[in-house]
Amino acid sequence: MKKIILYSVLLIGSITFLYPFVWMLGASFAPENEISNLVFLPSSFTFGSYLQMFEKIPIGKAFINSMIVASTITFGVLVFGSMVGYALSRLEFKGRSLIFYIIIFTMTLPFQITLIPQYILIVKFGWIDSYTGLILPYLMNALAIIMFRQYFKTIPQDLIDAARIDGCGELKIIFRILWPNSIPALVTVGIITFMASWNEVLWPLIVIRDENLMTMPQLVTLFAVGGRAESQLGVKLAAAVILALPIVAAYVFFQKYFIQSMASSGMKE
Amino acid sequence: MRKKLIPYLLVSPYIIYFLVFVAFPVGFSVYLTFNNWNIISPMEFAGLSNYKRLFNDALFRKAVVNTLIFLVIHIPFQIVIALFLAELLNQKIKFRGFFRAAFFLPVIVSGVVVTILWQQLYGFDTGLLNRVLVKIGFAKIGWLTDPNWAMPSIAVMATWKNVGLYVILFLVGLQTVPPQYYEAAELEGATHLQKFFRITLPIINPTIFMVIVLSTIGGFSLFIEPYVMTGGGPLNSTVSAVLYIYKQGFFYHHMGYAATLGFFFALLILSVVMIQKKFVEKDK
Amino acid sequence: MKSIKKILPLFVFALVVSCSSDSQTRDAKIIYWSSNNTEEIEFARYIVEKWNQKNPEEKIMFQPVPEGQSSEEVILAAVVGKTTPDIYSNMWEGDVESYARAGVLVALDTLDGFMDFLHERCDSAVIADVTSPDGHIYQIPWKINPIMLLYNSNAIKEIGFAEPPKTYSDFFNASKKFQRDNDGDGYVDRWFGYAEVLVTWWQRFFDFYPLYLAASNGAPLVKNNKAVFNNEAGVKVFEFLRVMYKRNYFPKERLSARQDVFLDGVIATRFTGPWEISHTEKFKPARFKYDFHPMPVPDNHSGNVYTYGDPKNIVIFKTCLDPPLAWKFLKYALSEENDLKFLEITNQLPHRKNLDTNPKYAGYFAKNSKMKVFAEQAKYVKGTDQSPVLKEVFDLISQEYEACVIYGKKTPREALNDAEKAVNLLFLK
Repeated sequence: MKKIILYSVLLIGSITFLYPFVWMLGASFAPENEISNLVFLPSSFTFGSYLQMFEKIPIGKAFINSMIVASTITFGVLVFGSMVGYALSRLEFKGRSLIFYIIIFTMTLPFQITLIPQYILIVKFGWIDSYTGLILPYLMNALAIIMFRQYFKTIPQDLIDAARIDGCGELKIIFRILWPNSIPALVTVGIITFMASWNEVLWPLIVIRDENLMTMPQLVTLFAVGGRAESQLGVKLAAAVILALPIVAAYVFFQKYFIQSMASSGMKE
Repeated sequence: MRKKLIPYLLVSPYIIYFLVFVAFPVGFSVYLTFNNWNIISPMEFAGLSNYKRLFNDALFRKAVVNTLIFLVIHIPFQIVIALFLAELLNQKIKFRGFFRAAFFLPVIVSGVVVTILWQQLYGFDTGLLNRVLVKIGFAKIGWLTDPNWAMPSIAVMATWKNVGLYVILFLVGLQTVPPQYYEAAELEGATHLQKFFRITLPIINPTIFMVIVLSTIGGFSLFIEPYVMTGGGPLNSTVSAVLYIYKQGFFYHHMGYAATLGFFFALLILSVVMIQKKFVEKDK
Repeated sequence: MKSIKKILPLFVFALVVSCSSDSQTRDAKIIYWSSNNTEEIEFARYIVEKWNQKNPEEKIMFQPVPEGQSSEEVILAAVVGKTTPDIYSNMWEGDVESYARAGVLVALDTLDGFMDFLHERCDSAVIADVTSPDGHIYQIPWKINPIMLLYNSNAIKEIGFAEPPKTYSDFFNASKKFQRDNDGDGYVDRWFGYAEVLVTWWQRFFDFYPLYLAASNGAPLVKNNKAVFNNEAGVKVFEFLRVMYKRNYFPKERLSARQDVFLDGVIATRFTGPWEISHTEKFKPARFKYDFHPMPVPDNHSGNVYTYGDPKNIVIFKTCLDPPLAWKFLKYALSEENDLKFLEITNQLPHRKNLDTNPKYAGYFAKNSKMKVFAEQAKYVKGTDQSPVLKEVFDLISQEYEACVIYGKKTPREALNDAEKAVNLLFLK
């Protein structure tokens, strides 16, 4: 009896979280006049909404933009984060703890304070409407540095010493020795960073005006807010589906890593 | 000599980044608060007028209050639901992986998708929620059109989106509770609720505080939800502080004033988080 | 060092590729940005090609404004970055004044023959509209899209009306007849009209502002740094709309999040511009009939019915090295002949006088009868007042509009008093 209640509560819970997505998917394939009455699946399937959306907004291009931006940022965060994290955890130098405290401090600094000046900076550098403007301010991430610092601390000193004897430079130590031994940290930082930059909207809204350079969430936001969907609801939902698709697909395959990564990012705070 | 330089070379990207994208903006932000600037004309020194304006700006006050209302609804709601679901998942059950994955799905999806979706669910005439309400004999609710409902509606949606993450965090916390404690309690005939309040809660207290801090910081940056769903209406009931700053800065180009708002709001966030941290430390 | 050599190039490459966006070769003498609407691009391309053929020594280069969300933002960024084009042809009238004050626009009245051209193109009211408070003129009136009442002809017939409602009383009557609760759940699901309920300032271009211009015979909102909208006309418009919402003749919900409610028959009217024609033609169901009519007016209204013209104008930026040449090109592009071409290609109205009676355009309007209605309306359109804080003015009015009209929290008098006070504070600064 208890079990039945337990399972039905869990089931209701998961339906609450899943059903809206199912509805959205169904609605995006429904004929326009059916959407407002749709409960589950439409009576007939049509790709009309998708075709119209592809006609109206350069969503393919936006996908590529998002891909370029998110991958470059992720890559940069991994490289720079592990460089700084390594220096902070395994090397002795003056000012080390100062830098560490600065990093901790910036983590607590709300972005609202730097938003306007950063925008002006980007304008003055002439990086409005460029990937540079989207990418550069995000190449460094305090959380990533801290996570690498923590993880590198757990790696045995012998490994590093052995590499030094073999004549490895510090960079080689980081990327050849530490990286292969830090896969969980790399995966965690990678997933968090990629997801955060993939889903970022506010900054692209501010920096990018050229439709050809817009990221996917930005384009879909403007499409949903602006008039270009021409009041065709299905088209908006189709855009939302396309926007959700890549991350959901990645999630289905790497579910465990996603959940672990997000959980550990929360724990570190 | 070279050896000594290497650590600095390694941290130099961060130092450059810090100077350009953190230190300078913070400094410039402070400078901007004393100026009026619409970007195209030369800057004008404004003295303290931006601050004066801020303290007389009823709409900004409202925006801050709105954000606080959002937090006050969102955080307790989120913690209770997350704890409840985590507690369920912590039982001996089958398909735990599936349930966990289902709860977590909204977390990874872009906020834009969630807002577009919920805008449909919340629709007054044809929205799913109201259709259900009418079917079971209730009056329709103006989820996003009634000034009293709009912010709570957004808070519920945000909870739906984020709760999965906190379920996982709590689950991790729950698993640190030694099973012997429960066994001992059972021997003494403790009920489920007693076990929860006497054993579970004290142990996962740190997790709860962490969740509070995390969702406070997240909640203070509320922007995309009202931007897409309500534009700040009805009757400014969903104007969040960030939305208002965005509007002042990027709609009206009052850069000096927007910087002042941002600066002030950042201080507010910092002090709230500080207070919370104080509480955490006391508790420990 | 080796390993970083492998990684960094990739990374640097990505950055370099991404940076190389702004490298336009400037072989042309004049750079012209048009709006990025498909038809306007077509027209700009046509006119520039024709000019370049005739004037190979004075080539014009054209590109659509690199626009995504709002061309205003793009222009702003260009002004800040000093990368403005020489000519820009989609400037909203309300923005001109702040750019003029920032000193980035060429005063056109100082150019040879400009005033003669302007007097030939526009009547004195329009010229007064575009004259800056400093006495100079920084913009050429180019095109307008008057806001009118779009109505579903079948729906009007269905409720027993021979013609669309003209006065507020007519509107109330028609609304009452059209309103319906289809599924008997106690909620209206058919409304006579719809106006966007968002407070965003420019939404008022499609409800309050044209109604105000209609009721006041084209009065300004602000004049000599003072709010002047707190008058009978303003009160009447607020009262009219307030009743529409109160009696549920207009829905308070944002129908724009739904499918097209006008084509669906969920609403019978809306306030909109000529761009609706191509949209409606594209998506309308079978046997759907629609037409346009001037904005509704108070019952005792006399005189012509004004509306908002949504004017877009042409400016020359100070970065232009050869303003006389830019002006020469514009004179050519805006000739009677080329305005006809503009009309044919874009289905938007050139902002010139006697559009409906000029024989040059008679052929076009004979073929496009719905556009003819707009051309007749074009005699009675207003732009926006010249003020650098116009957006804030509209924003403040919009705030009070929401409180009074949509939620009935204030009487029209109170709302307009409050808006007036707030706007006057704006000018005090």
